[in-house]
Amino acid sequence: MDTACKECGALVAQPAVDREHQYYCPRCDAMLYRSGQEFHYIILMALSSIILFFPAILLPILTLNIAGMEQSTTLVEAVWSFFGDGYTFIAVLVLLSGIIIPFLMLTLILMILIPIHYGVSPRKVATLFNLYEHLTEWSMGEVYLISILVAIIKLQKMAMLIIGEGFFLFIAFLITMYITMVWFNPHDIWHQQKSDDD
Amino acid sequence: MIKSDIEAQKILCTHCGLLFDEVDEVCNRCGADLHQRKDNSLVKTFLFAISSLIFLIPANLLPIMVVTSLGNKDPGTIMGGVIYFFHHGAYGIGAVIFIASIAVPAFKLSVLFYLLYIVYWNKTQKAYGAMKYYRIISFIGKWSMLDIFVVALMVAMVQFKNLATINTGEAALAFALAVVMTMIATESFDPRLLWDKREKK
Repeated sequence: MDTACKECGALVAQPAVDREHQYYCPRCDAMLYRSGQEFHYIILMALSSIILFFPAILLPILTLNIAGMEQSTTLVEAVWSFFGDGYTFIAVLVLLSGIIIPFLMLTLILMILIPIHYGVSPRKVATLFNLYEHLTEWSMGEVYLISILVAIIKLQKMAMLIIGEGFFLFIAFLITMYITMVWFNPHDIWHQQKSDDD
Repeated sequence: MIKSDIEAQKILCTHCGLLFDEVDEVCNRCGADLHQRKDNSLVKTFLFAISSLIFLIPANLLPIMVVTSLGNKDPGTIMGGVIYFFHHGAYGIGAVIFIASIAVPAFKLSVLFYLLYIVYWNKTQKAYGAMKYYRIISFIGKWSMLDIFVVALMVAMVQFKNLATINTGEAALAFALAVVMTMIATESFDPRLLWDKREKK
């Protein structure tokens, strides 16, 4: 009995580092331990995701054609439209949750794992963990993706639509980002630290 | 019999998972401040939920986007968009917008008030069921932002000078604020309070 469930407060045994099994709270069924992946795999996956990020947000996701007039949009330009209409708050919110925070999540994972991989104490990067956990809720890349689909359906009656490279790259970015986040288990870092001390 | 951290007079570091005695203030492993329960959880949750409820009124009454085609201004509300799609037989997309923009915020607020009710009246026997609702609202929280992203894309895409343009409506701001408020309300809520038995006075 050396830890407690974060969701209901029940005292439970500390699960050991395990690459295969999940553990749940006996009282409230909260996930106590999620199996993670080796750090070097996570670092590589995060790097590939970061490579996909820039073309994904800078290449056109959709091109609209009405009566011979063409208009392309990238994910970044969609945010500017709120600035253009004078809605700074929503522009910042959309920019943060749809673009900046998903990218930040990956850079945080790298900033946490690379130093630890080279033997830096996890305590030195503890504030980054804290930030990472708080930001998870505000990372809305997948919501942005589904909104592109909704916009496509809304616009298809109005005009001819061509789906651009940015759209497919954004999907690839989100998939690699999710694999990275699922593999990344902050818990393992503390546990390794603990066994180093023993 | 499962004991809680309070019953055992312990305090959990929610960042790294170490247990400490109630007198400790800082985690000696990761350096985080220790709090047995989130500070002022009930008051914060309640205030953010109420503010969200207030913002939802203009969000539903004002236009979320204004379509101008050939000089004709056509402001549309969230519900107007849903009705439009149902009239034109696009039930799938109508349902997606209805669920994300209307059903989800309403459900989230109902659950938040239900959770507050359970904690306030100390109905710990209902904790297990309430926990499930809490997990659902934490999971679906961000999906209410869907319509805001859709408006961003539509405004960016449809800028054809005199032919057709789309502009942002005031409801977009109110709706975004309402969503942010419910997300902060959910984050401020400490689900462990559902399980804590308090002595009857």
